[in-house]
Amino acid sequence: MAAQAQAIGVSKPAGLSRKDLFVTLGILLIGAILLLLGGFSTEAGDSSTFTDQVLGTLFSLPSRATLYTLGSICFFVAGLRLFRGARSIRGLLNWTIALVSAFAFLVWITSGTSLNLPGMLQATLVAATPLTLGAMCGVLCERSGIINIAIEGMMLWGAFSAVAFASIFDSLWMGLVAAGLMGGLMAALHAVLSIKYKVDQIISGTVINILAAGGTRFLNIRLLEPAGLSTPGSFPIIRIPVLSEIPIIGPLLFANQPIVFIMLILLLAVNYVVFATPWGLRMRACGEHPRAADTVGVHVNRMRYISVTVAGLIAGIGGAYFSLGMIGTFEDGMTRGQGFVALAAMIFGNWNPIGAFLAALLFGFADALQVKMQIIKPLLPFIHQPIPPEFLQMAPYILTIIVVAGVVGRSMAPAAEGKPYEKQ
Amino acid sequence: MAEQEKRPGLIRRIGAQPLWVRMLLFVALIVIVAPFSKWLILLLLLAIGLWPVTLLLGLAGLAVASIWRGGWPWMKDWLRRRLRGLVVPALSVVTALIIGGLVIMFTDQAVFQAMQEGGILEGIRLAFANLATAYKALYEGSLGNPRAIVEALGQVGGEEGLGPLLRVVRGPSDSLVQSVPYIFAGLAVALGFRAGLFNIGAEGQIGIGWLVAVVVGYSLTGLPAVVHLPLAILAGAVAGGLWAAIAGFLKARTGAHEVITTIMLNYVTFRLSAWLLCGPLELTQGTCRTQEIAESAYLPWFLERPVTIHWGFVLALIAAVLTGWFLFRTTWGFELRTVGANPSAARYGGMRVGKTFVLAMFLSGCLAGLAGVSQGLGITRNIALGFQAGYGFDSIALALLGKSHPVGVVGASLLFGVLRAGAGRMQSVAGVPTEIVQIVQSLVIIFIAAPAIIRAIYRLRKPREEELEVAVFSRGWGA
Repeated sequence: MAAQAQAIGVSKPAGLSRKDLFVTLGILLIGAILLLLGGFSTEAGDSSTFTDQVLGTLFSLPSRATLYTLGSICFFVAGLRLFRGARSIRGLLNWTIALVSAFAFLVWITSGTSLNLPGMLQATLVAATPLTLGAMCGVLCERSGIINIAIEGMMLWGAFSAVAFASIFDSLWMGLVAAGLMGGLMAALHAVLSIKYKVDQIISGTVINILAAGGTRFLNIRLLEPAGLSTPGSFPIIRIPVLSEIPIIGPLLFANQPIVFIMLILLLAVNYVVFATPWGLRMRACGEHPRAADTVGVHVNRMRYISVTVAGLIAGIGGAYFSLGMIGTFEDGMTRGQGFVALAAMIFGNWNPIGAFLAALLFGFADALQVKMQIIKPLLPFIHQPIPPEFLQMAPYILTIIVVAGVVGRSMAPAAEGKPYEKQ
Repeated sequence: MAEQEKRPGLIRRIGAQPLWVRMLLFVALIVIVAPFSKWLILLLLLAIGLWPVTLLLGLAGLAVASIWRGGWPWMKDWLRRRLRGLVVPALSVVTALIIGGLVIMFTDQAVFQAMQEGGILEGIRLAFANLATAYKALYEGSLGNPRAIVEALGQVGGEEGLGPLLRVVRGPSDSLVQSVPYIFAGLAVALGFRAGLFNIGAEGQIGIGWLVAVVVGYSLTGLPAVVHLPLAILAGAVAGGLWAAIAGFLKARTGAHEVITTIMLNYVTFRLSAWLLCGPLELTQGTCRTQEIAESAYLPWFLERPVTIHWGFVLALIAAVLTGWFLFRTTWGFELRTVGANPSAARYGGMRVGKTFVLAMFLSGCLAGLAGVSQGLGITRNIALGFQAGYGFDSIALALLGKSHPVGVVGASLLFGVLRAGAGRMQSVAGVPTEIVQIVQSLVIIFIAAPAIIRAIYRLRKPREEELEVAVFSRGWGA
């Protein structure tokens, strides 16, 4: 598909490919929505006020004018896309549109009220944490050539065993370790099935997802609840002295749950290992051209075992975030499809940890916005009814579909993905 | 063999007729059989309840038939041909049940307590006793109690009429009722597999089909059942199909992987139905359920309560036949299978791969929608919040177990129907959560997908090359 799109692009350099047209239309649509929201869903004199807990009011914008401006920017960018000259900054423009629309929706929902902006950013980072961890799991698996749709299942097992072992050992940190190990164990199962037994990797992943949904429920009802082991509590917020005193950035980055810190550290570490070490180069070779890697002496399957298992470890920690990081107990199916959203973040981030983190921030923002909107209850344009919370909850999922549909053709997946490797 | 060519069998001769003749014959068959359906179904339920007797009768029949065809060697050959493909699936199920049994045994609080108080042996004894109770409940909940059935047969014709008999065949009936949505959903996933599509969204499509069928069922009144019922069924099926076609369209147009889009559509369905059922469609405040459908939209039951088996079962079997006919006897079915086997070759051969993706997803969604329809019009007769029963996710296992062939899917669905019906009873009698079925199912998928594990455990011979049929689904995210 991607190759085909490229071929079309080469043969008809002057015209726009159909996909380009879709994206441009999408941007036009966003612009139109912003203008409509500005015109019909805000009052003339309303302003959107952004505050901070410590500093008080940060800045205040007239809602309607801001929405009009941002909507116009969307139209302008859509116009730019029609000219070939803008091709070099196209990626930048896409991100600009993402940021502009995110900010515009913020302005819209806060019209007439005020919003704690750093709080919102904090909520975004927090919601992006499990997504980033899941997406890193995906990056490690897929860069080595194994498709992993079992991130959801690994996270669910992680969430479950975090609660179980945190209660048994009466230590949250033991729970975190157990979550990682359990995720790693599931990933090892995935690796054995797909490498040793050459099971289709999608099926193998689905098995782990079903096993996670059924197994965690079963064990929760049968073991945790009767034994009273289901409420270990949640991690406290750690404040790094001095650094957390910095206004705005301090509370955002340096006063968080330990899992958020772990995520940030792992993000840098994984990025370094995958892209800057010989080991990472070999691993990526296994995902792109295993035969070539084998020829120069890389043990392809060993490499895949290692990276899939390590990936599962990371996903397990991400799962622990749902139980120990948020509500301090286990609920059935508590990962609510976030593993798949993480997968979409990975694709959006072009199989790159930092890119995945940025994408996860976008999804996290949609999540945080959704929670915020349930409190503020903005009105729908024209009919002036509050938006039902269910529709807001749909937003991250629909966003995932849009991202996967809009981005997947242009992003480059590792070439040898999904194919078992057989030494010749 | 030479004899057979001279005198083709009845089925062959009917198969050679034009399509409309076959359709007419089929309708005539249904019309003729319909008045006796009650007794036929009762006979079927009894045959399931007393399956050892049925099996012996079947073998005896086969032995009689073999007399004209060459005796024991023919019969042996016939059995071997039929059963060889079943060895690995059967052993997979058995192994999964054994492992499931171990899980039940060693996750029991009472067993832990007994181990602490009376030592390990005492604990293990209790564990086995509990497992026996659990699996006995599983059996009786799904296949009935044979002794009770024989006793009830003796009472037929007494003052209660069929009453005692109905009570004892409840287990087999529950199994068949549970297998109805399984057949539909399993066919849906199998059809997708044949086209190289992995439809994990059956759960959502079931919900959409259910919802639409129920809404059509109660919002239209005054129609005769002949019009209303087919209309409701069709509406549910098409709604499920269109919902799934979104994923097919996105895949055809943009290459978005259907695994992600269908799962995301599932979550959208759940939120959408939560809003509809607790909002605009709610009958009384706070119940989160719709009103009951009109009687003209009921899928009729064959017998009275508690035997709830309904016409959906027949519909499911018809759907299986039609799916098989579509896949293996029509041009579109051929295109669909070609695309599934090798999209590049299909494209090179002039087939429109994108169109096939959309069509396959649509049909797959129709079948999944029918699963919801059969539940909505046949069992619950309304739709309430929390309707998701996991049929959609289980259906993946069904399609794998049935090797994406309609006959296999029906067989696997019956098996899963039995497991599910039994699991309900196991939960109420032995306190084992029904989720054990999910664990067993995932083990079954593992063993079916990796037959090498089963072969290693039971030291089976390696299969010959032509029997190794590997379906490939994952082609990365782009294709």
